[in-house]
Amino acid sequence: MRRAAVVGWVALALLFSLSFAFGRLWPEVTARACPFGADALRPDHTVCELAFGGLWVSLAMGVAAAALATALGLAVAVAARWTGGALDRAAMRFAEAFFSLPDVLVLMVLQFAAQTAGDLNPALKVSPPLLMVLSLAAVGWAAPARMVRSRLTTLEAPDYVAAARALGAGRAQVLRAHVWPFLRSYLLALFLARVPAAILAESTVSFLGIGRLEPMSLGRYLGVSSSALLYEGGGRIVLPAWGLLVAVVLAANLAGRSLGGAAPGRSPSS
Amino acid sequence: MIRLALSRALRQLVLVPIVALASYYLMAALPVPTEEESKRQLSSELVESYRRDLGLGQPLGFLRPWEKLIKGERLGTTAQGVTFEEMLVKLSGSAGIGLVGLALALAWAAAFALLRAGQGRASEAAGTGLPALAFGTPAFIPALLLAPAVVERGHLLPELAAALVVSVWPGVLLGTLVADALRQELERDYVRTAAAKGLPRARVVARHVLPNVLPALLDSLPPVATTLLAGSFAAERVLGLPYFGQLYVAAVLQKQVAVVVVATTVFAALLVVVTLGVELARLLVDPRAREAGR
Repeated sequence: MRRAAVVGWVALALLFSLSFAFGRLWPEVTARACPFGADALRPDHTVCELAFGGLWVSLAMGVAAAALATALGLAVAVAARWTGGALDRAAMRFAEAFFSLPDVLVLMVLQFAAQTAGDLNPALKVSPPLLMVLSLAAVGWAAPARMVRSRLTTLEAPDYVAAARALGAGRAQVLRAHVWPFLRSYLLALFLARVPAAILAESTVSFLGIGRLEPMSLGRYLGVSSSALLYEGGGRIVLPAWGLLVAVVLAANLAGRSLGGAAPGRSPSS
Repeated sequence: MIRLALSRALRQLVLVPIVALASYYLMAALPVPTEEESKRQLSSELVESYRRDLGLGQPLGFLRPWEKLIKGERLGTTAQGVTFEEMLVKLSGSAGIGLVGLALALAWAAAFALLRAGQGRASEAAGTGLPALAFGTPAFIPALLLAPAVVERGHLLPELAAALVVSVWPGVLLGTLVADALRQELERDYVRTAAAKGLPRARVVARHVLPNVLPALLDSLPPVATTLLAGSFAAERVLGLPYFGQLYVAAVLQKQVAVVVVATTVFAALLVVVTLGVELARLLVDPRAREAGR
């Protein structure tokens, strides 16, 4: 399990580095070495150049959106747990209902509303990458909120937490001293699980032409090239993008296996 | 049990009006363009349909799109809008693809569960690699690869291709859940006891294990339905199928605001129906769910 996790982390770091290097810094190196040839609609760029450039955009947005979604979910879960009672139940019921809707559907509605508002009133215009990150975070907060809320119940159950409270420790102190050390690795695992989910949701929405990202993400690249694919044969254009997407998902899954949070009663560093 | 079923149904049904109102007021909050602006940005017919279909400024304006649909009027513009009958036809097409996709997903699930049950490194690698491959493959990628072979061929080939591409990830998900649940149940004491008492393995699995695995399978159906629906957007678009997923994407791209409001609510309603069905089935097959609700 540990070796698989190390492989995952190394692969993630490698994908980040390669996408930045070959997609942004040295695209001409990628162009010279690409075995898939030129893109059908943009013959001055190779398939590899556009695929690595798209991976960089997708990774950057996926990581930013996953971080924001995890932070939002944590805030909602802590606030719900802190408040307790009917507000807690209502918040989690809302998160459950939100979670049951497809990511892509809610993302399309949010993108549509924000883009239309920006088109009709320039004062409301938001840059497409920022809009995509905010939309992905607005879609992705519910799963972390539910899971962190459930985890908080487990982490606050042990006797030493009750003892700390009996000795006069406040809620904030209990969270900081007794809960947070066990929660942080769990949050990192949730974040790693959200990264591929965010990248895939963004890829689908951009592929459909609803996201207006420039430079193009992987999904937008495939969407823009799709008409050429029907007549030219899709393999050489689809395969690099597909391979990169699967590599990101596999790497994030493997890296997330090393985390999951220590259990109360064991050292949080184990 | 009827009271329990009703209370669960009400909990689920409340999602539909929430989605209807949220999507309506989100769209109604969009700034209405002046005549000058609308000439630059949007066609006058589109702006007029936006005001008319959303009932802006009218009391109970959020009911206006539904009122128009029920009366048989066209929602949206003449060229790109939709009527109630058209929406029903498109919905039935997507539902058909979804049902075939579900059947294919069950087949994938059975195959994947059998693969995971195998011993050895190859099985373990497949157990890790295949879910990553399936989850990391958005529906539009296999759809793009299949499209040149099936688009414009007719004979329901594009529909079958759409069902195939949307079924892979739900199938792998189902297979993983069922295989894990099966393995846990097979390790239980009561299975060992039954086997020790001389019951054939097939009878132990059929009579004792499968009824305990069924709740896990039922619980996974709502996320499977969600994934099938989400996959239909891209699959129908790529394969040129004129059904509900394509309708939704086209409505978003063409700024048919009222169509987006209604279609979003219909999607939410479909998911609620599936979840309700699962909860009722759970109450019927699992006595623990009935006890827990008391």
